Amino acid sequence: MGDGRILVVDDNPSILSVVSDALVLEGYGVETAANGAEALCAVERALPSLVVLDMRMPILNGWQFLAELRARHLDVPVLVMTAACDARCWAEEVEADGFLSKPFELDELLSAVGRLRGAPTGQRA
Amino acid sequence: MSTDLLFQYLTWTLFLLVFAAALVDAVRFPLGANVDIALLFGAPSLAIMINLAVAGGLVAPGPLPDAANTSLMLALSHFLLRLVNDFSSVPLVVMRLSEAGLLLLVAGSFWLPPPRPLWYTLLSVTYFVGHQLYATAAFARESRRSAGVTRRRMEAAAGGSVLLGLAFLAAAIDGCMGLGKWWTMGFFEVPYLASAVFYLLGFAPPAWLRHSWQAPELRRFLGRVAVLPRLPSLDAVLRELESGVAASLGVADAGIGLWDEGDRRLRFTDAGKPYEVPLEGTTAGQSFLAQKPAFSPGPPRGDSAQFEWCGAGGVEAVLAAPITIGEKRLGVLTAYVRRAPIFARDDMSLLQLLADQAAVVLESHTLIAESARLRAREQATQMKEDFLSAAAHELKTPLTAILAQSQLLERRARHNPGEPVDLEWVERLVNEARRMAGVVDELLDVSRAERGELVGARERVDLVEVAREVCGRERQERGRCRLEANGEVVGDFDRIRITQLLEELIDNAIKYSPGGGEVVVKVWQQDGEARLDVVDHGIGIPREDLPHVFGRFYRGTNVDDRRFAGMGLGLHVSRGIVEEHHGRIWVSSTPGQGSVFHVALPAGIQLMGD
Repeated sequence: MGDGRILVVDDNPSILSVVSDALVLEGYGVETAANGAEALCAVERALPSLVVLDMRMPILNGWQFLAELRARHLDVPVLVMTAACDARCWAEEVEADGFLSKPFELDELLSAVGRLRGAPTGQRA
Repeated sequence: MSTDLLFQYLTWTLFLLVFAAALVDAVRFPLGANVDIALLFGAPSLAIMINLAVAGGLVAPGPLPDAANTSLMLALSHFLLRLVNDFSSVPLVVMRLSEAGLLLLVAGSFWLPPPRPLWYTLLSVTYFVGHQLYATAAFARESRRSAGVTRRRMEAAAGGSVLLGLAFLAAAIDGCMGLGKWWTMGFFEVPYLASAVFYLLGFAPPAWLRHSWQAPELRRFLGRVAVLPRLPSLDAVLRELESGVAASLGVADAGIGLWDEGDRRLRFTDAGKPYEVPLEGTTAGQSFLAQKPAFSPGPPRGDSAQFEWCGAGGVEAVLAAPITIGEKRLGVLTAYVRRAPIFARDDMSLLQLLADQAAVVLESHTLIAESARLRAREQATQMKEDFLSAAAHELKTPLTAILAQSQLLERRARHNPGEPVDLEWVERLVNEARRMAGVVDELLDVSRAERGELVGARERVDLVEVAREVCGRERQERGRCRLEANGEVVGDFDRIRITQLLEELIDNAIKYSPGGGEVVVKVWQQDGEARLDVVDHGIGIPREDLPHVFGRFYRGTNVDDRRFAGMGLGLHVSRGIVEEHHGRIWVSSTPGQGSVFHVALPAGIQLMGD
């Protein structure tokens, strides 16, 4: 189960900030990464309870990151977040546990996270 | 039956056969040449009839039938000369002499009783052999200028004429000197029979022989036109077809008239100038309406301008065949000949075969052009679709932050109403809204670029200063950009747009060198121009993309959609900005090593009074 933190990965700093702020507000612990390489480092440090993952990123993109995860037999639930029109297709392609189509409602984000990771353990801020 | 008789009957049969065929032709197509051919073989046929009548006892042998025979054979050679005059002009003097000579010799044959004096025999033999040799030379010359079946027929006619001449020369010598059976056999009977065979081949060849003579011409034409459907311009195809037909037929010129369904006219082109031919009253029109090959002696009727041209070129006849594929009537193929063809039907049948080939070539060309158009349209549609999805993606990114951030603010306000607003959140919201406005502006810039309305008010701008500003910003935000410049490089520019240009080029350089690597901006003045180079060491641009990079919606073929987002508009707008400043922009690149974008703008101030 790890330490319960959620890892949010997106190359757009505004989206990264707003998603992590929303999750923190909800009471979750959050870690951020700006691309796949940083995300891998974070995963190696501590296994998160959920990864919220943007797909189109420089250096190491979403697909490559997930391939690495599988190669290392790291079993973490993955929520794919993308502006691509075929968000569901991409999610199925990588066998993700769920998908979020940008732009999404805050409620959509929170209910998806709740479904995959369970209720927050921390205090509601 | 003795061999002599066998030879004789065979020879006679052949001559009669040729006469029968010639008579049928003369009745069906009463052209000058056909009538002359009928007369040419009518003479010996009549002589043969007389001989048969004598042998059969219907006519008493005597000086009269003998004189008739001699006269008819002399007449044969005269008619041969008349035929030669039909396709190749014989000097008037020669024609008159021939007529006069014939009259005299015929009169002589009836007036002088047999055995006739030596001088008469000599004269008649000279007359006959002379005519035969003249005709042989004429046929041989004409055959070299012809093609296909006509050429072979001319060669056969030449062969027949020379053999007939030699045969009668031999007979005359034998008559005077009595050289015996072997002489008669070898130099009279065999050549006589051979000449009949050659004349048969020349003047009444069977259909299967005609087809086998046509085959090499057709094959050569096919080889020549096989590549035509792939030529880009219809005009080039038509010109090639026309010259191919002229070469295959051995004629002066050929023309293709395309049928215009709307105007109901046939459109030809001569030396780049188009002209129209009506359906009524012209050979081409007649052929098109009847959907059969047509031939008319005399210059083309109808268009007076064409009439003049043909008169000048000495065109004596027009052949036409319809170009039709299946049910679709494409037009007409015409051939202009300098001399009225004496074997018109063969020329017409070859022309029709060539027209059929031309139909296939033209139809293939149309289909290929059509499919190329379809492919281009599909490509354009695909590009627009790619653009729309890329544009949607670009808009969705700031919109995601805006939607989530504003909903966060809403939540916070609802659950903790008294709490002060988080300024950072509000600033983020404003920035993202601005960013989205920027994307929309970029889209609008494209249509401004189309109308040439990108560049607004101009002022004195130092390119080095602008480059330093942009580079500094990029270094702060993205970590890399180095400027190489000295002093000032000043020009009359739209500051905002020039800044945008630099931002676009530098942003691109950074975006497409994901592995890091330096981005260098060089600004200098050269030959009265403000010069700018943006150098990167990134993924580069493949050679086939280089001519298209500044095009609308264009994204490089080596750009993986999953790594690099983009709408394909930035460079297009950049080019618009540069060109509205009357400058130039171009790119050089090595795939895998990097690219350099070069810009040249007119330097110096062009304000009045400066």
